[in-house]
Amino acid sequence: MSASPFPLIPLCQLPAGETGRILRLTGDEGFCQRIREMGCGEAALVTKLSGTTMSLCRVRGMRLALNHRAAIGILVEHLPLAPR
Amino acid sequence: MAAAPRPGSEGADPALPLPAHIAGPPGRRRTPPERMPVYALVGNPNCGKTTLFNALTGLRQKVGNYPGVTVEKKVGETYSQHGHAMRVIDLPGAYSLAARSPDEAVTRDVLLGRRADTPQPDRIICVVDACNLERCLYFVHQILDLGRPVIVVLNMMDLTARAGLEVRPAELEEALGVPVISCAAVQGRGVVELRLAMSRRELPLARHSWTVPAPIAPVVAELQASLVAADGRPPLIARAEALLLLTDQDSVRVAGSTPLSAVTGAVLENWRRRWTGQGTDWSGTLIKARYEVIHGLCREVIRRTGDCGPSLADRADALLVNSGWGWLAFAAVMAVMFYAIFALAEYPMNLIDGVMADLADRVKDAMEPGDLQNLVTSGMIMFYAIFALAEYPMNLIDGVMADLADRVKDAMEPGDLQNLVTSGMIGGMGGVVIFLPQILILFLFVGLLESTGYMARAAALMDRPMSRVGLHGKSFIPLLGSYACAIPGIMATRTIENAKDRLVTILVAPLMSCSARLPVYLLMIATLLPGDAVPAATKAGLMFLMYALGTAGAFGFAWLFKRTFLRGDPPLMILELPPYQPPHFGEILRQMLERAWLFLKNAGTIILAISIVLWFLSTYPKHPDPAASPEVQIAHSFAGEAGRALEPLIQPLGFDWRIGIGLVTSFAAREVFVSSMGVIFGVEGAEGDTAPLRDALRAAQWPDGAPLFTPLVCLALMVYYVFAMQCMSTVAVVKRETNSWRWPLFQLAYLTGTAWVVTFLVYQSGRLLGF
Repeated sequence: MSASPFPLIPLCQLPAGETGRILRLTGDEGFCQRIREMGCGEAALVTKLSGTTMSLCRVRGMRLALNHRAAIGILVEHLPLAPR
Repeated sequence: MAAAPRPGSEGADPALPLPAHIAGPPGRRRTPPERMPVYALVGNPNCGKTTLFNALTGLRQKVGNYPGVTVEKKVGETYSQHGHAMRVIDLPGAYSLAARSPDEAVTRDVLLGRRADTPQPDRIICVVDACNLERCLYFVHQILDLGRPVIVVLNMMDLTARAGLEVRPAELEEALGVPVISCAAVQGRGVVELRLAMSRRELPLARHSWTVPAPIAPVVAELQASLVAADGRPPLIARAEALLLLTDQDSVRVAGSTPLSAVTGAVLENWRRRWTGQGTDWSGTLIKARYEVIHGLCREVIRRTGDCGPSLADRADALLVNSGWGWLAFAAVMAVMFYAIFALAEYPMNLIDGVMADLADRVKDAMEPGDLQNLVTSGMIMFYAIFALAEYPMNLIDGVMADLADRVKDAMEPGDLQNLVTSGMIGGMGGVVIFLPQILILFLFVGLLESTGYMARAAALMDRPMSRVGLHGKSFIPLLGSYACAIPGIMATRTIENAKDRLVTILVAPLMSCSARLPVYLLMIATLLPGDAVPAATKAGLMFLMYALGTAGAFGFAWLFKRTFLRGDPPLMILELPPYQPPHFGEILRQMLERAWLFLKNAGTIILAISIVLWFLSTYPKHPDPAASPEVQIAHSFAGEAGRALEPLIQPLGFDWRIGIGLVTSFAAREVFVSSMGVIFGVEGAEGDTAPLRDALRAAQWPDGAPLFTPLVCLALMVYYVFAMQCMSTVAVVKRETNSWRWPLFQLAYLTGTAWVVTFLVYQSGRLLGF
């Protein structure tokens, strides 16, 4: 994986209203497989809508709620501008 | 992408030319077999499959606006444009063929032809949410690998503009090579076009294909060959299974009920050792490869037309899920629901009284009084009210029963038969049926929560407290559903992926106070707080306390189980939030009527039967003195004997043998307690309210003259019903869902034991405090 020019942070730390790109999934393999299949795999863009303990996000047009343990295992690069 | 032969339109009915996008580009075609063709409706959760199924078949399966409404396959029939019957199977929603929960496993097994009770579908209808096309196409992509004729239904096309999207069905059809139908199933749009597409004798096979990443291709080929040779799988199914075995690390879960042969297992194990050595993530590579192809497809098919900034729904979610306002809103919803059960129920009950009084007068005017025909006719009116008029559940019931009781008295000589009909049958059933309005109000609120999309938000909100007891918010949906009835609640646990989390949820679900407890609570509250002087809010508050106690009990036991014999890692939760929608009142009303019908059917069968048996047991043997009082007679009866044998066990709870009989008989269904009290205390008929039975209970005494139903005993009885496992149907469904008698018996023991201990503590503490 190429090094990201932007800081790599867990999804739960992405500020509300900001967009990030998923770069790595960590933790339980089965969970990683499922969220990849739901379209939240590496390279997907994720927009944080709100929350830290319960992260509400938009990914590929769907609105998802992830609890803290799930969101902390999703590492994203914080993109400065939301791509259109 | 593989090249594909080009079309012909020989499959279409020449007399009724199909629209071009339905007739579709001709390609390779498969003619269905001569038997009734079988269609499977598949797709991601909450994309409208069941709405479409209902529209096609005319059936009325439950729909809702949250993921996981359908957890078992449903079969119906529809007709082609030529009048030929076609079978349609509605399958539970799934994100992938790599099933991770029991409901998804049903879908996978039917599609792969693993279910002995279900034919493998000849054709597959893939329902996709047009607003979430990219994610939905992942599952479609896997299904195309199965090599079956597929029709893609682009549902919710009416919502795409609001989502700032323009979705082009013709481009998708061109890319996939299968018919693509635009649809808005809720409004019934696109159903005719879908039926036309289903009516085609031949459907093109997908010409879309994708290339398995080169490093994985040899593994897929070797596994496929082994599955064909050693496991007897058809080639395309074998390829799909090979891909699943590489996607999901748990081969036992993938194989399901058809374990892999030793040869295939060895092939897989050999490759796994190599992967581990190389440190390659094969699962991630496969999923990524599919999404890359799908992403390319979506670039051709979707055009973004609007702003993708935060929407009103996003802001609402931030409030309802991630702020203190969310808890306030949740508390307000619950408070309004419990208040409405008391305050609003008065209106339909008064309406029923008025209508019934009028009907009773009309019936009296129209019929000859005092003969046996009168009795039979009145019986038919009651039967009609219970069974045929179930569509109008609040109509006519009480008045018919009151009238019936009068007529029986007029028509029959006083004696056992008259007593059987008035006390046993009418008293027993009438005491229960009167609670129908409150139960319907409860279902109205549950329906509103499900229909608007709030259910999933409540689950997300509840994740934090749930995680403290070792469960995640997803478990809250079955638990919330159990407020209506534990049986669908327990079945809804099929959406929970982790087996231990699912079992814990099943074990604690009966602690959520279901609608069958309502009659018991309402009767006890009426006895405890009689009259109109007590405000409805006080009564609602007391009932809310019972619901809160049950919920706290469920959380407490979940915590205990997760820290002892069902220990597991704290769960990870990802939950899709459905769009907010205005409530579908038609669907809510339909579900309410369905529940009313079930309730009345129960009253007309189980409760009636138990009431008759109980009447017999409380009437015989006769006391030697014919002039003995009813209390002396019932004490002399079989029921009296049995109750006295039970009394030492329940006396520490403040209950006498008559309450004990109610506890035993209500094991069939909790509401039987009310009918049992009606029979035991000889309350005849229903007078439109609970007053006669309430007054009888308030007058009941111990042999020493002390009142039996003191406020403390009423409270203790409610507490007993909060915890006790008083429902045969729940025991049966837990046995089915856990595939063993071990867990339902454990559940029965721990809940009954807890009920006894907590009730004992409440009663004895109350006495020590001087109540």
